[in-house]
This record gives sequence, C-alpha cells and structure tokens, in this order.
Amino acid sequence: MSKMRKYLALTRAGIIEELGFRLATIVMIFGNIIYLTVIYFLWRSIFASSPTPVVNGMTFESTLIYLVLATAIFNFMEMYTVWEMGRNVQSGKIVLDLVRPMEYRSYLFWSYTGPTIMQFLTTFIPTFIIVECVTKAIPLGINLLYFIISIILAVMINYSIDFMVGTICLYSESIWGINIMKQVIVLLFSGATIPLAFFPEGLAKVASVLPFKAVYDGPLSILLMNSPEICDVLPILELQAFWAVMLYLLSVGFWKISLRQITVNGG
Amino acid sequence: MENSIVLKNITKEFKVLNRHEGLKGSIRDLFSRDYKTVTAVDNVSLEIKKGEIVGYLGPNGAGKSTTIKIMTGILKPTSGEIMVNGKTPWEDRTSNCEKIGVVFGQRSQLWWSLPLVESFKLLKDIYMIEDKNYNDMLDFYASIVDLEPLLHKPVRQMSLGQRTLSDILASFLHSPEVVFLDEPTIGLDVAMKSNIRDLIAAINEQKNTTVILTTHDMGDVDALCKRIVIIDKGKMLYDNDMEHLKKVFGSYRTLSLRIRSSQMTDDFITSLEERFSPYGISISTENNWVSLVINEDRIKVMDVLSGVQENGSIKDMKLEEISTEEVIKRIYTEGI
Repeated sequence: MSKMRKYLALTRAGIIEELGFRLATIVMIFGNIIYLTVIYFLWRSIFASSPTPVVNGMTFESTLIYLVLATAIFNFMEMYTVWEMGRNVQSGKIVLDLVRPMEYRSYLFWSYTGPTIMQFLTTFIPTFIIVECVTKAIPLGINLLYFIISIILAVMINYSIDFMVGTICLYSESIWGINIMKQVIVLLFSGATIPLAFFPEGLAKVASVLPFKAVYDGPLSILLMNSPEICDVLPILELQAFWAVMLYLLSVGFWKISLRQITVNGG
Repeated sequence: MENSIVLKNITKEFKVLNRHEGLKGSIRDLFSRDYKTVTAVDNVSLEIKKGEIVGYLGPNGAGKSTTIKIMTGILKPTSGEIMVNGKTPWEDRTSNCEKIGVVFGQRSQLWWSLPLVESFKLLKDIYMIEDKNYNDMLDFYASIVDLEPLLHKPVRQMSLGQRTLSDILASFLHSPEVVFLDEPTIGLDVAMKSNIRDLIAAINEQKNTTVILTTHDMGDVDALCKRIVIIDKGKMLYDNDMEHLKKVFGSYRTLSLRIRSSQMTDDFITSLEERFSPYGISISTENNWVSLVINEDRIKVMDVLSGVQENGSIKDMKLEEISTEEVIKRIYTEGI
C-alpha cells in the first residue's frame, strides 16, 4: 500500500500542476470547437453526396457522435509522452528522472495520470454531456461501466505504444518526425479520424490485427451500445486486455534493452 | 570509519560513431559501422569515507560527469568494481537511488509549476520519508535558511539562486547517505554562493552526509573540501588533502607588479618571458598588472623583482601565496 502511495503522490501533483494551467484548457476547448465544426461540415457533405442516408451502416448523426467522442478521448489520451521523452533525452534531464527510486516507465506513467484525469473531467465529461443533451443517442446504462473499464485499458495500451515510440528517441535524435508518424498511424488505424466502418476491406483487415483499434474504436463501440450483455462487450475487452498485456511486456522489454544499450555504450 | 564509496579500477569506454563532414558524409554516417572507442574514465580507484566532502575537479570533459553517473547507477562501468553504501549501483539502481541525492546545477529536479512545498511533499512520498523525519528536516532547514518565503513560491518564479538553494534542500530531504553536487554554484552571485556553501557545510555537519562536489569554482573548494580528487582525460591526477596540495606548492608565490602604462608593451612582456621562463615562471597580465608565479626553490622573489626593474619601472606590488585556482591550473597543465 505504501508503495502505491508514492505513485498516487505523482497523480496528485499532476492534478495540482494541471490546475495551474487554466488558460491552456480554455485554448484547447476552443481549438476542439473549431476542429469539430470542420468535421461537421465535412461529413455533412459526404452524406449529402450519398444517395442513401445510411453509409456503411452509419447515419450522419451516429458518425458525428462517434467522431466527436473520439476527439474528446484523444484530448485526454494524448499526453505527448513521446515529446517529453525525446526532450528529456536531448536535454539530458532524463538523468534526473533516472535517479528517482522507481522505474522510469512507472514514474512517467503516474506523472501523467494527474493531467489525464483532469483532461477527462474538463474535456471528455462536458463533451459527453453536451452530446447526450443534444442527441440523446448515448444509452445511459451498464454500458457506461464497461466503458470505464475499456477506457482504462485503452489508456494503458496507448501509454505502452507511446512509451515504445519514446524509447526510440534514445537512439534517434529526431523526435518530431517519429512523433508525427506515430500520431498519424494511431489516429488513422484506431478509427479516431475516420470510423473503422468506412475503411475499405483491405485496410479494415490491417486495422483489425493492429493494436490501435483497441484504443479508440473499442471504448467508443462499447459506449454506444444499448444495454449490452456481458457477452457483447467481452470480446472487445478481451482483445484490449490482450493488447494491454502484450504491449506492456514489449515496452518494458524494449526499454530495458535500450537502457542497457545506453548505459553500456553511453549517451 | 566506514567507506561510503569505493571505486576499484573503474574504466568506462564509450563507442562513438566516426562522423564525416558534409552532406555526403552525413548520409554515409547513416549506414556507417565505423566506431571508435573513447575512454571516458580510465582505471580510477577511489575510496571515500562516510561524512567526507570531496572536491571532484577536472577541466571540462575530464570524465567527472561520467564518474558521477557511474556512482549513481545510471551508467555501468566497462570494467572495475564499484560499491556505494555497500551495494553495486548499476545492479541495484532503484534501491541505490533511495540513498543518494543529486543536484545538477544547470537543471532542476523540482516540479516546475508547483510551489516548493508541494515538491517537497511529493519527494516525501516518493522516497517514503516518515512524517517525523520530514518535519524534523523542515525544521532543520528553517533553522539554517529563510525557508518560509520559498515554500509557497512556484519553482518557475524563483531566481536562479533560490532555485539552486531549493534544489539542494530537496536533494538532502530524504537524508541520503551520499549527495552528488554537480556545479551547484554555477551562475550565482557572490552572496548566494556563500549562502549555498554555508548550507552544504551545515547539512554535512549535522547529518554526516558524504558529499561529492564537482565544481570549477575554487571558492567552493576552499570553503568546503578537505580533500580533492582531480581527474583529466579520464585519468586520476591527484587524490589527497588540500593541506598536502598547499604544501607541495608551498614554495610558490604570486608576485603582482603594476608597471607604468607606457611601458606595458608586448615587447616588454616578451622580454620578461624570455628571461624568466628557464625558471618555470608563468606570466599573465591584466590591465597594468603583471602576475608572475614564482617557485622560490628555483629563483628568489628579490631577483625577479630586480630583473623586472631593469626594463620597467614598478609603480606598485603585491606578494601572495599561491591560490588554489593557480594550483589546480598548474596540475591541469603540468601534472604534479
């Protein structure tokens, strides 16, 4: 328990730190409104050009809800881990994090939990409430509980992916390219920019075997289910749990090997 | 007394890519396997006792930081044995880290946007410091520095001096056995430097913490260190008491002379250099002052004085014991 305390202390500090940046939150909300306006008009014209109101099994309304919520999830999920790691490696600040009496991976993860929780409360929850009030399309029932479990798994998967990409920064001095590449791949294959239902068959197959799907598409599907049975959500949660464990092991392993490389060959 | 840190024949080699010049070279480097080995630390052995303050000196790039990184467990030595508080740091990194504190003068380990007291609370939880020890430590801090105005100030709003002070306090908070201070007084004003030195001395005395101090400021060394270790190009040049060092260089004096400004010409300086270099005298000038470091075993100060007077008229003079700075400079350039 006492061990947990040092991690929760990091969460707490993150929340306090986040509260100090009120302006940043406001700017981000404003940026999202612009982004969502663009999305709205883009998809409206896509649906307007289609002969039927239902495209790939999704209506205009459900597509929009899906994308709005995906954006809201993106906001608290994207913690710029890769930037942070890259910057710390470049500036040498990582040395100070490495002399903390805990594993770097956990240290960084728990440092992020504070901002993640704050972003969840300040951007996801309001978006959720607005969407619900306007459309009444999100069922309010057991699906919310499953969604919470699913979103926690998604955070873990996303962090492992970020941490792995961040580890590459130990070798490569360019963070920018790596990070942009990661963002594009994750957002595309997770269904955050275009719902997976719209993917052509080949691409959909690729997306289904990649872990990114478990980050956005998983929790969103669960959220939009109407009073699902456990057997409806279990396949999604199982897949997420599988990726969470796999990527955890991979990212820990990759970090250990890389760190040894660095400590042996210098950096 | 027990040893806090023991290094036995520590060597650390890095593999560095041989980089080529120009665009073509850079592209070639992408595929190059052409590495050269650089020895950053070369067969260094060292024993540091509990409670000692050791000045760890050397010119830039001498291998100081590498040694410190080995002692903190971040780097693994290529060969040799190392024990810090009875453990091998690179094997037991996490548990080693619980018992050490680190300050890098140019970076802060504090949480940038949090008030200092929040950083302290966080460190309290991270290092699992007992409530009582934590409160005692804060009381102790309050007795040596003016803590109250610092506690509620976010770190990013602090001046460099306040921040360094806070960083040092933070590094001692969990009562570590060893604290590594890497250039703690860099960029600080004279008053703040002296505050920081007093603080380090006070904590060291009270808590018997071993302190490894790397610095380029000889004032730090004079104020704090009884013992100094000097390394250059990865090799150990000197490891002994300050007293001993002073004794070795005891026969050295610095003679400073103010010369009439019309006579302070390059020719004059060259003639002095020609005349006195056989006696191992080094000459430096500042404004109208000429400083000569004289080894009295080889030539008498009076002889130098009359020698100078033959070519120029002396307006003023000073005779000083050799400063630590001068001693270190001599060791860097000539060895001991």
